[in-house]
This record gives sequence, C-alpha cells and structure tokens, in this order.
Amino acid sequence: MLTITLPASLSNLGQFIVPVSNWLKSQGLSRQKIVRIELALEEALVNISRYAYPQGRGDIEVHCQLLDENRYLIEIIDSGIFFDVCALPTPELKACVAEREVGGLGVYLMRKMADEITYRREKDKNILRLIFQATPDRNAGATPFNPGHRGIQR
Amino acid sequence: MEMMVRNEEKAAIIAVTGRMDAVSAPQFDKRLETLMAEGATRIIVNFQNLEYISSAGLQIVLANAKKLEFIDGELLLTNLSGAVKEVFEISGFDTIFQIFDDPDAALASL
Repeated sequence: MLTITLPASLSNLGQFIVPVSNWLKSQGLSRQKIVRIELALEEALVNISRYAYPQGRGDIEVHCQLLDENRYLIEIIDSGIFFDVCALPTPELKACVAEREVGGLGVYLMRKMADEITYRREKDKNILRLIFQATPDRNAGATPFNPGHRGIQR
Repeated sequence: MEMMVRNEEKAAIIAVTGRMDAVSAPQFDKRLETLMAEGATRIIVNFQNLEYISSAGLQIVLANAKKLEFIDGELLLTNLSGAVKEVFEISGFDTIFQIFDDPDAALASL
C-alpha cells in the first residue's frame, strides 16, 4: 500500500506519478499497464488541480493498493467541490479538425484506461476509485464502468 | 520532454522526445507558436521517441492544427507507436489527422 498526500497543483504532478509508477513497477506490473495507470492518474489529478478548489488551496490524497492478485486500486480523494467524473458525457470523437472541440478528453481517457471506475461523495470529499487488472492487458475497447452516484457537475 | 526542429524546403519537422504531460505540453505549444511566427505553415511532428502523451498534449496538437488550417497550412504527424498510438486511437485523433510512417513519407505527400 502506498499513500501520497500533497497540495492540488500541477507542479506536484510528478510527485504523485513517479512514486506510484515506481510502486507499480515494484509489484511487477508491465510497462504497458503502468503507462495506462499513469495516464488515468494524470487526468484525474489535473482535473482536481484545475477545478476542485476554485476558492483556494486544498490537498489530494492518492492511495494505491493491491486488492487481490490481479487487481490494483488507485483511489484519489479531494475535499473540493462536488464532481462526479462518471456523470460526464462522452465527447464527440468523430468531428474533423475544425469542428473538434479542444478539451473534454481527459476524463474520457481516464475512463477508458481503467477497468472499473466508481465515484462517491462522502463527508464533503470526492472519492474516485480506479481499478486496473494486472492481466490480461486489455487493448483499447469498451470499458465497463460503474456510473456511481450522480450529481452536479463542476 | 525534448524537441528538435529541422527545417526542410516544404515543411518544418519537429521531433519530440520523452513525455508530453500537463506540465510539459505548454513547451510544445510555445515551440509550435514560434515556428508559426517564423513563417512555418506546414509542420510535421515526429513522435518516434515520444513515450507518453495525455489529453494536455492532444489538446495542443488539435489547437495548433486548427491554427494551421485557418491559414491554409497543415499539421502532419508521423511515427505513432505504443502508448501514444493507443491514445490517438481511443480519442479518435487517428482519424482526423494525416498520419505517416515517417517524416520522409509526410514530406513526399506535400
């Protein structure tokens, strides 16, 4: 188990991702799987750093845990404003360059990288749980995810 | 992340190495902005040595492709592989950009 708590800031991105990546490596995970987890984690952290604390500063907690021999949990907790990533619509993926909107892809990529994703609001905290299977390595495709509780989007 | 620019007659080629994440992507944006300020209208981005890209990088690629299209220019991409290729495919970016095996193939298309 690994726990990291740091202020929500893009400047701390590496301070979260590098230790998580090293921990996953020490668990014997493939580089391909680690990169997917890094991507999902980055997208979650960036979102929180940019939007969770509009009135000031706050922390992000990241917990990494081996749930069983084949499943890794990355739990990301913030005390910012309510935000259910599972409730966001899928962005338009087919538009041409001129019509395609810049942005909106981060949460989508996070959802596609994780094998399971749940969100809940508990005691004024956003608790996002991303679960990744160690094997088999999944190619891009439909991702099962639990919509969790829904609410106001920030 | 490191970037190296080579100017050819038909296009500027920028090779990107390392990781393009939310922290480093703005550097890529600035470099492209400089190239355009110098007059480049056709830019080839070589991703051969890029090992990681997140949505922040995709946004910069798309935003600059829009700028170039607006001035009748083009942004061409080459050498997508591994995690970078997967991210392009998942986001649908592989269908909206011209992607070539290598910079020579991209140059030959111009």
